[in-house]
Amino acid sequence: MAITEERPEILELESGDTSFSTGAFARPTNASGWRAWFFTVDHKKIGIMYGAVAMFWFLWGGIEALLIRAQLFTPNGTVLTAEQYNQIFTMHGTTMVFLVIMPLAAAFANYIVPLQIGARDVAFPRMNALGLWLFVFGGIFLNLSWFLGGGPDGGWFAYAPNTGVTFSPGAGMDFYALGLQIAGIASLVGAINLIVTVLNMRAPGMTMLRMPVFTWMILVVQFLLLFALPVITVALILLSFDRTFDANFFNVAMGADPLLWQHLFWIFGHPEVYILILPSFGIVSETLPVFSRKPLFGYSVIVISGAAIGFMGWGVWAHHMFVSGLGPVGVAAFSATTMFIAVPTGVKILNWIATMWGGNLRFTVPMMFSISLVSMFTIGGLSGVMHSVAPADTQQTDTYFIVAHFHYVLFGGALMGLFAGMYYWWPKAFGYRLSESLGKWHFWILLVGFNMTFGPMHIVGLQGMARRHSRYGPEDGFDFWNAVVSIGAFVILIGMIVFAVNIVRSWLGYKAGTVPQEPADPWDARTLEWAIPSPTPEHNFDYVPVVTDIDDFWHKKYQPDENGKLRKVADGNEIAQKGDQHPHLPSPSYWPIVLAAGLPLIALGLIYNLWVSGIGLVLLLGAMFGWSLEPATDPNAGHDDHGDDHGPDANTPDGDEGGDAEVAEEAPVG
Amino acid sequence: MNARINKSTNSTTRAGRTRHSLIGQLTRLSGLLLTAAALASCATGRIDPTDPVGENAKQIDGIMRMSGYLATAVGIFVAVAVVLVIVKFRERPGDDPDELPEQIHGNKKAELTWTLIPVVMLVFLAVVTIPGVFDLSSKGDGPTIKVEGQQWWWQFSYDVDQDGTDDIVTANEIVIPVGEEVNLEIQSNDVIHSFWIPQLNGKKDAVPGRVHHWRISSPVPGIFYGECTEFCGLSHANMQMRAVVLTDEDYNNWVQEQLVSATTPTASAAKRGYDLFGRHCVSCHVVNGLYESAAGGNANLTSGYAPNLTHLMTRTSFAGALFELYKDDGSVNVADLKEWIRNAPGQKPARPENRQGMISFAETLSDSELDDLVTYLMTLGGPPPLMPS
Repeated sequence: MAITEERPEILELESGDTSFSTGAFARPTNASGWRAWFFTVDHKKIGIMYGAVAMFWFLWGGIEALLIRAQLFTPNGTVLTAEQYNQIFTMHGTTMVFLVIMPLAAAFANYIVPLQIGARDVAFPRMNALGLWLFVFGGIFLNLSWFLGGGPDGGWFAYAPNTGVTFSPGAGMDFYALGLQIAGIASLVGAINLIVTVLNMRAPGMTMLRMPVFTWMILVVQFLLLFALPVITVALILLSFDRTFDANFFNVAMGADPLLWQHLFWIFGHPEVYILILPSFGIVSETLPVFSRKPLFGYSVIVISGAAIGFMGWGVWAHHMFVSGLGPVGVAAFSATTMFIAVPTGVKILNWIATMWGGNLRFTVPMMFSISLVSMFTIGGLSGVMHSVAPADTQQTDTYFIVAHFHYVLFGGALMGLFAGMYYWWPKAFGYRLSESLGKWHFWILLVGFNMTFGPMHIVGLQGMARRHSRYGPEDGFDFWNAVVSIGAFVILIGMIVFAVNIVRSWLGYKAGTVPQEPADPWDARTLEWAIPSPTPEHNFDYVPVVTDIDDFWHKKYQPDENGKLRKVADGNEIAQKGDQHPHLPSPSYWPIVLAAGLPLIALGLIYNLWVSGIGLVLLLGAMFGWSLEPATDPNAGHDDHGDDHGPDANTPDGDEGGDAEVAEEAPVG
Repeated sequence: MNARINKSTNSTTRAGRTRHSLIGQLTRLSGLLLTAAALASCATGRIDPTDPVGENAKQIDGIMRMSGYLATAVGIFVAVAVVLVIVKFRERPGDDPDELPEQIHGNKKAELTWTLIPVVMLVFLAVVTIPGVFDLSSKGDGPTIKVEGQQWWWQFSYDVDQDGTDDIVTANEIVIPVGEEVNLEIQSNDVIHSFWIPQLNGKKDAVPGRVHHWRISSPVPGIFYGECTEFCGLSHANMQMRAVVLTDEDYNNWVQEQLVSATTPTASAAKRGYDLFGRHCVSCHVVNGLYESAAGGNANLTSGYAPNLTHLMTRTSFAGALFELYKDDGSVNVADLKEWIRNAPGQKPARPENRQGMISFAETLSDSELDDLVTYLMTLGGPPPLMPS
């Protein structure tokens, strides 16, 4: 299935020069220090950077959340002005969706997917780096608004015409519209890259229905991104044109209908919900079988229901608009479609429980986070079904009942799954485990804080507390639960501090030698990423494994005895690859980060002065030329022994008769 | 009261479910939550969708409770299953690590069953929901009132003689006759707002350029509270509204009173205030019969409209129903009214420099001038037919 490509000999420089003759600039060598990160095209380093930057924004978005909760701790709060409150809730939502959960999922997708399919990198490594840097600069650009006159104040959903210059005269909404465009290009680039990677670079024998569920869910998400992002791109362009060039797309006086924005936003926005949650569904579909020591119950049903959610997710957007004036036929239709998307979701929940049923459950930290996804997401899913009942939604929408609902989905679901993934794959990425005991503290404090924060929101929501209000009155009767909610938010903060302490202490312990080096397969796991050493060697796989089954690695460890009972026949750590080969790797490149730096300059220029855009454009075009003209590879990069024995057969495992291993693949050039 | 009892039952269930999934460790928290739930049920506010009064709100409440019970039942089922799994199938110290549990890859029958059972439940839910959607969107046979949202207050207009022009224009408080299904034509003069008086009906967005039909009714007279629920900018939190439901007799009297134009005051302080009003207020505000230059809209505000003050004192509140116009003893809330005129943006966030909200007169009007203005405003009709209890 995998494409094996004969690398043209020309890529090897016979002269021994450090640069290729057609190249305008030499590629950076695989240096150490910050260069190794800024110019890398290695999917693992890129994945780690996605994660680290997303965690920084998580801290930032969390501070925004705490400010919101400080303001609402008491009636008529005075911590923030109405103006500040509106900016902060706008940026809390925007940050958590676009700068935290999406990139955290991208971190796992980048790091894990190539490993799960037995590839040495993604299909387009330089594009991968471009995606990362666009996300980084997009996030910085969005938040520059804080220092240049105030953040966006129209809500993350940015309903027209409130976001036009008439009603939002500051530059905040310009930063929103342009910043999301930049981050959107990042996701689009990543989506194309991962789709091509998954479709083309799977190990021999790994058919689509032998692919790990995490990789499957990431693939579904990339297709959702591929089709959803163009829609928000169009919407944001219309908004930018209205704001920057006095266009009239949302100008009611010129005959516009503001519902245009809502339709565009939610045709993107609802698939976006599945973009946020499906990666975590994929993660727990990996962890639950591993820690239950049983295969996933109904692999094909889980995969197909995930794909079904991906399809059905396109037909439910107007449930965000039940009170927007769609008319009863539209409301009834979207009410029904929304109800039925609960079916594939419910199937997943029950299949996960059935996976654990009859198992031998190991309550490691990733397992605990995974189970909390199953139970907490269920609460969010069920309140979602309550919103699908359109008449009831006319009471619920824009109240805290909705806030409770989507935080149970996105925090109780998506984030819990992402934390499970962090604890689960940490040893693979860094070579050591995060502390299990601190991890358990992290888990329990977070779970208590989470339920304390978002549980009571159901109650105040049903009692009529409206969202996006910078204050409530003492006469409203919301004081008690809001105090509980605000305390809960600070409990979450404590949980996250424990997590930070865990990361730092485990890292220091690892460096000091008190936290042990983990072997290839510390969890007795099932998928290919555990068949290589921890941390992952730079080239991932010494040789490309041949896959004969779902959970192929597991079947190499456990095989039926004469009675048909599964017996352990091999230790995962012993049969894992050694990571001692040195195949060619894509060379680092200066251009992705330079190209990415051009876009925020263009955007800044659109707000302030077109000359700045000119500089950005020069940077962008220059980087495109540099990208095209740089040498295909730096012959000294990626492998320290650049001898003459880099042929395919040098990469077969020792002592193997060649039955299991196929011709080693060169990693792509990018 | 019934509603309140049910609500605390709901909270109990939720707390109970939490405890299940956290096993034991959270018992103390659950206890806290239960106590808190009991406390909170005693302290419900004046906006309470769980205590519906109007026919529409009651119908919605019925559908919502049914969906809530269904969701709770499924939630309890899942919670019990998760707890059972955790308790029953946890690895125990003596277990042989190489001994594997039975490797089940799936069960088509079971999976088909738990696909079809939700389908059946959701078909049931859809069958109940969809007729409700059409029911609630039909028109009533009561009078029609135009509802216009703007930053950050509501305007209500009545075409009493049905000649196509509005005869009564009032603000913040929609006055309706008891027992009649009143038709609303909801519109906006600037950004999107949402009209919501939860005890009477669900909400409906006010979208500029569109007219949305909605209805409200109440079987009993009284004052019902509401809020704007679609984010509409800076003072979204301070855009409230009230529905004043009157007996037929009171309603007819109210209509007759509202149809009368204002007259020039005679007392000296009020006369001074009247003159000040003519100098400082009329570019935005209208007083029927005296100051009507802003009646067709004005350029000082993005929405074009400020509240019509002809019968100000027949209302119970001002400034987007944010402040009480009368104190508990029935006297006029002079202090707040004066402070509002003196420095409105200080009382309620606004951006008058961007034509959003009322400007400050702190630099323009002296203290005695403010007193005179308030004295004049107090001559504009009143008292209200119904006072907040």
